[in-house]
Amino acid sequence: MKKIFFSVFTLFLFSFLPNETLGQVYGTNTFEFQLGNLPFEDDQYLTTSYDQLNLFYDADKISFFTKVEQFLTPHQDRNYFELSQKQFQFQDDHLRIRIGNFYETLGYGLLLRSYDIPGSVYENEFDRTRYTFLRDLEGISVSANGDWFELKALRAEPLNNLIPPTFEPDSVRRPDLVEAIQGNFYATDQITLGGALMRVNTPFSGDFQEYGSVISDIQLPFNFQLFGEYAFSTSSEFLSFTSQNSYALYSGLNFFKDSFGLSFEYKDYSNFLLGSAAFNDPPSLIKEHTYPVLNRSTHVVNTASETGVQLEIFYNFEAGHSIVANYTSATNNVFLRQQFYEYFLEGTYKVNETLSLKSFFDFAKDDPKLEDNRISVGFIADKSLKNTRNIIIDLQYQIFDRQFEPDKTQNYFGSLSFAFNQDLTVSTVFEATTDILLTDNPNTLLDIEEEVRTWLGFNSLYKINSSNSLAVFAGKRRGGPACTSGICYEILDFEGVELRLNTRF
Amino acid sequence: MKILLPVLLFLFVGSTKIDPTIPNFRLKDLNNRTVSYEKVKGENLTVIDFWATWCKPCIISMPEFAEMDNEFEDEDVKFIGISIDGPRNQAKVKPFIKSLGIEYTILRDIDTSVMARLRVSAVPTLLIVNSDNEVLYMHEGYKAGEEVEIREKILELLEK
Repeated sequence: MKKIFFSVFTLFLFSFLPNETLGQVYGTNTFEFQLGNLPFEDDQYLTTSYDQLNLFYDADKISFFTKVEQFLTPHQDRNYFELSQKQFQFQDDHLRIRIGNFYETLGYGLLLRSYDIPGSVYENEFDRTRYTFLRDLEGISVSANGDWFELKALRAEPLNNLIPPTFEPDSVRRPDLVEAIQGNFYATDQITLGGALMRVNTPFSGDFQEYGSVISDIQLPFNFQLFGEYAFSTSSEFLSFTSQNSYALYSGLNFFKDSFGLSFEYKDYSNFLLGSAAFNDPPSLIKEHTYPVLNRSTHVVNTASETGVQLEIFYNFEAGHSIVANYTSATNNVFLRQQFYEYFLEGTYKVNETLSLKSFFDFAKDDPKLEDNRISVGFIADKSLKNTRNIIIDLQYQIFDRQFEPDKTQNYFGSLSFAFNQDLTVSTVFEATTDILLTDNPNTLLDIEEEVRTWLGFNSLYKINSSNSLAVFAGKRRGGPACTSGICYEILDFEGVELRLNTRF
Repeated sequence: MKILLPVLLFLFVGSTKIDPTIPNFRLKDLNNRTVSYEKVKGENLTVIDFWATWCKPCIISMPEFAEMDNEFEDEDVKFIGISIDGPRNQAKVKPFIKSLGIEYTILRDIDTSVMARLRVSAVPTLLIVNSDNEVLYMHEGYKAGEEVEIREKILELLEK
C-alpha cells in the first residue's frame, strides 16, 4: 500500500513542475461499474466496480509509467488495490533501457511474446475478480540498434495472467525467470538474419532449460517476401523434426501485385509450450474474425503438437469493392489425431458513397470442439445518412453437427446500430442458440434443458468530449471465447447493467 | 482507501496540461527496420492512423487516407499507419497494405505498447499531430462519410 501511494504521489509531484523543463504527466483512466450477475447463479444483483489508472511521465529521454488497479465488491476476499505495473525507461536514437514492467517479443513469438490489450477488463471465471488482461515481463531489458544491426537482452519474469491479483503469494503469478538475447543483422537492404538464445529457470529448483532460434526475412524480386523462424530446445537434436523433439518451425511467403495480395504460412510445433505460464505464442495461422459467430468458434493452437498451413488472398477493386478468401488447416497429434480446417470467403460491395453491403460464407470442421460441417453465413448493410448519421444491420447464422448429438446446433446473431452523430451511438444485439452446452442449467444435475436460449442487450456510447466517453450496457450478453489482436480469452456471460467511463488526461 | 484512486485522478486532471505532446516512440517498419517517430513525421502535420487487418472500419477508411496522403503531400502533411496486428496476423500486413495501394509509412506495434502510450484504446483511431508533437485532433472509429470531416480538419489546421 505504501509503495503504491509513494509511486503515484511521486508522479503527482512531478506534474506540478514546469512542463517545458521537466516533462509532462499524462494518462488514462477506465472506471467500470456492474450491477448484475452470471446466468444460473444464485448471487443475484452483485455490484462490482473496477478502476484502472495509467500514468505516464516523460522528460526528454527519461520516462516513468505506473498502472494502478482497484476492484471492489461486497466480497472482501475478491477486493484488491494494486500497483500492477511500474517502469523506468531511458531511450535515445540508438539505446533503450527499461526497468520494471515492460513488453517484449522475440522473433515471431516462438520463444517469447508479451502483450497488452488497451481498455480490456478480464473477469476471472473462478472467483469473478476483474483485472486488466495483459502479459508483461518484470525485470530489465536493454536494446541497441544501428544501421546494420539490432540487439536485445533481457532478464525478466513473465506474468501468468490467468491467476488473479488477489492470489497469494504474488510470486505465484510470475513463476518463471527468463534470460534472453536476440540479434538481428541487416546483411543488405533485402536480407535480415537473426538469432536468439533464451534460458528459462524452473521454479523451486536449480534446473533450467535452454532454447535457441534462427530468424530470416528476405525481400525477393517481383514483390515476393520470404520469412520464418526455427526455434528449438538445445537438449533436442538440431533440425530433427520428430515428435520426441522440442521445436517450433514457422515460415511464410508473401506476394503482392497491383490490387492483389497473397499470404501463405506454414507451421510445425512440437513440445513447445514454454515455461509454467506458457509465455511464448507462436503464430496460430488461424484466421482472426470479428464476426461474433466466427470469432467465438476460433481454434486455439496447441503447441504440444500441431502442424498446419494458412493461405489468404485478397483483391481490392478500384470502386471500393473487395474479396477476401482464406483457407486454414491444422492437425494436432497429442493423444489422438485431430483436425481443424476452415474455408472462408468474404465480399464487400460498395453500392454508392453512402451504402455498402458485405457478406461472408464459412465452412469448417473442428475435431477438438467435436464440431463438424460447420456452416456460418452473414450479411451486413452499412448505410450513411445525412448529418453523419449512420445505420448498420448485421445478421449472422451458424449451424453444425456436434459428435454424439443427434440434432444440429444453431446460433443466431442480429444487431441494429444507429449513430445519431459522431458522438452518440446506440445499438441492440440479439442472440439465440440451441447449443446444449449453453441451454443446459448446470445447477439442475438431473435435468437437461434444451429450450432455445436467448440474449438481448442494449448498448450506447456517448463521447462527452475529446477526453471522456461513457458506455452503457443493459440486458443480457453472451459470453464464450473471444479473440482481440490475436489474443484469445474467455468472456463470461453477463446479465444486468454495466457502465464504463473512459478518461484521457 | 476506497476513494484514493478517484481522488488522485482528480488531482492529476487538475494539475496537468490537457494536450500532452507525444513521445518519440520507436517501432519496426514493414522491412523489419526500427524507425523513430521523429524520422518519419511530417514537417507540418502528421496524421497517425491506428489500424489492424481484422478491423473492418479500418479497412474502409484506409483508401480514403491514401487519397488524402497524395492530396496533402505538397503541404508537408505525412500519414503514418500503425498496425497493431500481433504475430497471428503479422504476415498479412504487407501484402494487404500494398493491395490497397497504400504508399505511406506503415509501422508495427505488435504488443500495443505505443498505442497505450498515445492513450489510444480502440481501432481505428486517428490522431493529427503538429510539428511540436502536440495532438490537435483525435477521431475514434470510422463510418463511411467521416473522411469529409477529417479532410476539413486537416485543411483547418493547415490554415492556422
